[in-house]
Amino acid sequence: MDRNVPNGQEHGGANSSDAATTALDPVCGMTVDIAGARDRNLFLEHEGTTYYFCGKGCKLEFGDNPTRYLDPSYVPSM
Amino acid sequence: MSSDATAPARDSLAPTGPIEMVLPVEGMTCASCVNRIERFLRKTPGVEEAAVNLATEKATVRFDPTVAGRSELVSAIEAAGYDVKPEAARSEEPVATDLEAEVTSEDAEREKAQRRTLVQSLVSIGAALVFMVLMFWPQTVWAMEDLNKLILWPATFIQFWAGGRFYRSAWKAGRHGGATMDTLVAVGTSAAWAYSVVVTMYPDVIHEAGLHPETYFDSSAIIIGLILLGRWLEDRAKGRTTGAIRRLVGLQAKTARLVRDGEEVEVELALVQPGDLLRVRPGEKVPVDGVLVEGMSAVDESMLTGEPIPATKNPGDEVIGATINTTGSFIMRATRVGRDTALANIVALVQRAQGSKAPIQAMADRIAETFVPAVLVVAALSFVAWFLLGPEPRLTLALTAFIGVVIIACPCAMGLATPTAIMVGTGKGAETGILVRGGQALEAAGRLDTVILDKTGTLTLGKPTVAEILPGPGVDSRELLDLAGSLESNSEHPLGRAIVATAREDERGFRTVEGFEAVAGNGVRGTIEGREVLIGNARMMTERAIDLAAFADATDRHAANGATVSYVAIDGRAAGLVAISDPVKAESAAAVRTLESMGLTVWLLTGDGRRTADAVARQVGIEPARVVAEVLPADKAAVVERLQAEGRHVAMVGDGINDAPALAQADVGVAIGTGADVAIEASDITLVGGDPRLIASAIGLSRATLRTIRQNLFWAFAYNVLLIPVAMGVLYPFTGWTLNPALAAAAMAISSVSVVTNSLRLRSVDVRPGQLKPMRRGPLGVLRDSAFLAGIALVAFAMAGGVYAADRAIDGSAQHVEVIGRNVAFQPTEIRIRAGQWTVVEFTNLDPIFHDWEVEGLANVDAGARPGQSARLRFVIDQPGTYEYLCTVPNHAEAGMVGTLIVE
Repeated sequence: MDRNVPNGQEHGGANSSDAATTALDPVCGMTVDIAGARDRNLFLEHEGTTYYFCGKGCKLEFGDNPTRYLDPSYVPSM
Repeated sequence: MSSDATAPARDSLAPTGPIEMVLPVEGMTCASCVNRIERFLRKTPGVEEAAVNLATEKATVRFDPTVAGRSELVSAIEAAGYDVKPEAARSEEPVATDLEAEVTSEDAEREKAQRRTLVQSLVSIGAALVFMVLMFWPQTVWAMEDLNKLILWPATFIQFWAGGRFYRSAWKAGRHGGATMDTLVAVGTSAAWAYSVVVTMYPDVIHEAGLHPETYFDSSAIIIGLILLGRWLEDRAKGRTTGAIRRLVGLQAKTARLVRDGEEVEVELALVQPGDLLRVRPGEKVPVDGVLVEGMSAVDESMLTGEPIPATKNPGDEVIGATINTTGSFIMRATRVGRDTALANIVALVQRAQGSKAPIQAMADRIAETFVPAVLVVAALSFVAWFLLGPEPRLTLALTAFIGVVIIACPCAMGLATPTAIMVGTGKGAETGILVRGGQALEAAGRLDTVILDKTGTLTLGKPTVAEILPGPGVDSRELLDLAGSLESNSEHPLGRAIVATAREDERGFRTVEGFEAVAGNGVRGTIEGREVLIGNARMMTERAIDLAAFADATDRHAANGATVSYVAIDGRAAGLVAISDPVKAESAAAVRTLESMGLTVWLLTGDGRRTADAVARQVGIEPARVVAEVLPADKAAVVERLQAEGRHVAMVGDGINDAPALAQADVGVAIGTGADVAIEASDITLVGGDPRLIASAIGLSRATLRTIRQNLFWAFAYNVLLIPVAMGVLYPFTGWTLNPALAAAAMAISSVSVVTNSLRLRSVDVRPGQLKPMRRGPLGVLRDSAFLAGIALVAFAMAGGVYAADRAIDGSAQHVEVIGRNVAFQPTEIRIRAGQWTVVEFTNLDPIFHDWEVEGLANVDAGARPGQSARLRFVIDQPGTYEYLCTVPNHAEAGMVGTLIVE
């Protein structure tokens, strides 16, 4: 899945002014339920943007090296 | 000071290589979790490969257990941000508890089955005795017909309750077209029972055939009872087959000392995982297989290798679970646990060997295989003959002949033939220290043609002993021994103990040693009266630049004999050599000679090095071509298997745990001496005391027992076979004799007496070591051996002749009365006889219909005769008075077939 398609970063990293209920996991590319991710503390703020993750692994991966996953050429492993 | 002759054995037994472990991972959601965990695992030192499966939530890791352990893997996964489900993997293989539970439940079942056999046997024999008393008692109280109806019920119950197993077993054999002893029992007792039931329910049918309504309920019950008794006796001697496995399982340590984060925790053995670090302290058992990573020690591996001298272990060396650490303390990394350990492999080998061992067909079964069909053919022939040529009613008479043959063909002494001989044989053996586990072992041992002897503990003492003390130039030999003994008295090492034992014989007290130090794996050192004394192996001496050139020749000589050499150095100079070896037992050579004189081929088998093996073989007289050295436990069993494949009957003699698989594999496993419990449990014969000459004694005893069993079976069958023609009715045309319960009981009694007394004769076999006499051979020998039983037969026939003569004499003195039945009336209609005197009534039936002559109110004063035939009846009436006699065939008495008997 390519991040540059309409469903890409703008949506995935959206901080929800448009009241979206789902977001894209920037690491694996999965669609994540925002409320659920918030409940389970599966989100990270990076440079003012909140990112949501499917699980702990993706969150840690992202935390280790956010620029790698925000790079436009990065293709989620899924 | 150590011998590493066993090093190759250990290496191939426990190959170190990467191992695989599966860890259950929690919290994975997507493929990137998978990647992350795999990446973290792969960068852990020692891990070669890691594969994580999202669907099954499992991480499969291949790693070098000498570098990493489970805790390292778990922390890698935790570092990646995931959890490993606690202990789930650990409870997957509760090997020890599993095995033990299995073994225990098998034992309980076995015990229950044995109790059941005994109860069934005793009830059957008891019932049979009651039946006999009732049936052969002078019948004045109850008529036979009424008694039969009473006996019918318990007899039927016994027939199917106690005899049920014979039907099942006969059915099983019959489906493959085979016949066993059980078939014979099932067919014989069924015939006896069924005939008796018919006689009881329809006595008229039998009456009309001119036969007495006699039943064989007692025969059936006693045969079932005695055969079950024999079986119980044999079973009891057999012991637990699962015992070896239980002992093996019991060998492993119960707990392990887990080293984690620098702390030592004692944990259950089942919780130890490959890769765990474990501390093993002096005197403890090594908990699982692994690699020594820190420390040094000598480990007693005799259970695996049979080598009595402990092996030195340095970092990187393999250590095997359940072996015993002697002096040093060390840390090991577990490589194989649970079902993968060397011990578990031995368990599996023993299990496999015990399971694959084809049960030896009992001799009685082999006889039955041909005897049963033969009997059925003979029975069928007599049926056909009676049916075609016999008088009326043909069908009844033909059936009676058929059944008679089948009944008499089943000898109850058959059930005693084997067990009594085995009981006496095993009892005799036990007196001399030959413990035989059951009849199969004796039967098998009697057929042996090949004996494989383990070296250590069988031919040798199995204990390190000082073979030679060689002082260097200018050193006093006693002084040398004294110093060495004093120094070694501080040591716990088995080699040291051998030196101490020799020094102690000298009866000079030990001197004070200062600064004693054990140099693990190499030797000991200390200061005695100001002199620095070192005892150790060549490496220890070389490291200290001590010149051993003076002892080069002696070293070579001892090495050629497989002895272990230690050197003694005083103040930095080589002062002497101490050779320690496992000496050959004094009786070993004689034992081998006797075995060979008995026609047995003798092999030597050992886990030890070739040189030691050859040296021992030379001393005891075993051909070099029949020496197999440097074999592992599994290979020992394979050597046995190979010889068996050549069609040989192989006995394996050994004493170690390492021998257990071979002992179980062999046709006869013989555990010798104070051997390991496991070896004893895995074996069929145990020789107490360790004298190897007992091997020949055991085989000789088995051969004698086997011969007795053969004789017993012959004579057990002989009397019954003799009565088969009688049952067929061959004598009927001449004397009117057919089979009757008294004849059957007589055959039973004589054959049982023959068998039991013949078995007791086994007591005269001398099985003491070296006292064994060769068996008589050839036709003359067989004849002399059978003289006793032939004597019994003669006595029996003489007695039968005596009874017959007495019978004749009674007849001669008796009052003879002739009665004729004609036109449904008796002639005469009045008979006078004397009270208390024998009377013989000759009843002749001239009518074309069956008649009998019966005195009313008196049991068994009844003679029936078929048309045109006559019957004889002998009786005594004690009570004077007037009686009525009549024909019991319905309507005949009413038609006037009556008369008066006056007893004066």
